[in-house]
Amino acid sequence: MNLRGGWALIQSTWASWLQYRSFFFLLAFGWMIPPLIYLFVWSTAAGGAPVGGLTRGEFVAYYLSLVVVNQITYSQTNWTVGDVIRSGGLNAQLLRPLSPIYHALASEVAGKVVYLLFVIPVAAVLALLLHPEAQVTLQGALLFLPALGLAWALRFFWGYWLALLAFWATRADALLSLQDALIFLLGGQVAPVALLPGWLQAVAVALPFRYMVSFPVEVLLGQVAGPALWAGLAVQAGWTAVAVVLFSLVWRFGVRRYAAVGG
Amino acid sequence: MHYVKLLRAFIGVSLQNSLAYRANFWISLLNALLNLGTGVLGLGVLFSQVATLNGWTWPATLALLGVYLTLDALRALCIGPSLEALAGMDGEVWTGRLDFTLVRPVDVQFLASFRFWQPLALLDLGLGVGVLGVALVRLGHTLTLVNGLTFVLTLAAGFTLLYAILLALTGLVFWSPGFLFTWIFHSLFQLGRYPVGLYPGWLRLVLTWVVPVGVMTTVPAQALAGALTPAALLGSLGLALLFLLGATALFRTGLRRYASASS
Repeated sequence: MNLRGGWALIQSTWASWLQYRSFFFLLAFGWMIPPLIYLFVWSTAAGGAPVGGLTRGEFVAYYLSLVVVNQITYSQTNWTVGDVIRSGGLNAQLLRPLSPIYHALASEVAGKVVYLLFVIPVAAVLALLLHPEAQVTLQGALLFLPALGLAWALRFFWGYWLALLAFWATRADALLSLQDALIFLLGGQVAPVALLPGWLQAVAVALPFRYMVSFPVEVLLGQVAGPALWAGLAVQAGWTAVAVVLFSLVWRFGVRRYAAVGG
Repeated sequence: MHYVKLLRAFIGVSLQNSLAYRANFWISLLNALLNLGTGVLGLGVLFSQVATLNGWTWPATLALLGVYLTLDALRALCIGPSLEALAGMDGEVWTGRLDFTLVRPVDVQFLASFRFWQPLALLDLGLGVGVLGVALVRLGHTLTLVNGLTFVLTLAAGFTLLYAILLALTGLVFWSPGFLFTWIFHSLFQLGRYPVGLYPGWLRLVLTWVVPVGVMTTVPAQALAGALTPAALLGSLGLALLFLLGATALFRTGLRRYASASS
């Protein structure tokens, strides 16, 4: 592990991205819109009486936290992995005395720095306008951090192993669109998981997608507590382990197949 | 007549281009189905918790989704690809390739708007019209001639508004090349999936008068449900005409600023 080289790469990527911040702010703006639509939908629905046990203010708190968490765990890097493999751009990365995973990590860190510079102020202004209500316990706040870290790792490695299928199939990124749709439905975006109809809720709790976005928010706001909280963390850690194993397997076999297109 | 012949030629060439990449058909079909599925399932989850949303029933909201999908498909079919080629990423204004468009003996605005077509968007169009049909059946009343006519008129006004906004944003690129103005619209347009009455006052004003997404989608959906006042019909037609004239003026003024790139 060449840590010093990796850190230098991360810093240079982030500095170069900040030069084009208006472009990245536009992307972040686009990603904020879907959760914000459902913020307005659900807070209108709960305008009179609580829906599914949540009041208007609690929906606002849930979706504003979701906007920020979604931005922290979203791995846009996964969308470029396939292009790098197809175009032969991987050649340069393989020749460097650094594991190519550092390139992905560098754009991850750079992305978080640039996107959060936009998303956090916007979320703060919306919080002032829309009056969220939340009771955050100390336990919730403390467990939020590991849940968020695992959510990021799970979403990153899950998308990465899917994207690496580009070693075999040229249009593997179609699977990433499918993943985004599943996260939208099962990851607490269209509605908090607790409000999904019975069978859909059971599917959401079992599959990895909820643990990529909404689970940390539920932990922070105390919507999941007691045994369900610990079970959730265990499932999240389990899926993350599965994603890391799949990533290393797909990478090991894929890179052997890689035939280096281009010059 | 000359322009009709040109249009036919543009469509023919676009069709041949897209026939060359046949695997894209399956990817487009997958994406269209995902778009439809997330939209319909999202509404299903919402209406499993509430009976009406701000006065909108499940079939009426489904009709709105149908209008949204239809308008978005029409954009992707005919004006989207051309305007994107001009003002999108590495667009012709940025690279200077607009020179080759300008020297042709045809009106520039016509070329800029209708040169490229995306025949695969017909898949999305079919699904959008299908959703409209299902919504109409679920609304449970027979479509009178007047309602049908006002629906077609308001849908045409909505598409004219959509075109005018995209044209105006494309025109702005002449002042600030490289900034992706049209992306802002794509983000905001998603707000049209739900009735504009849901949003807080300040946002509703923006969505009616500045970026009239509400007039594009909410008004035709109301027309289909037979809940449209004559004033709203005249208002939406008038607004469409006003925006079209304004956008044309803006685009032509911007075009005069074009000074090519390099050489």
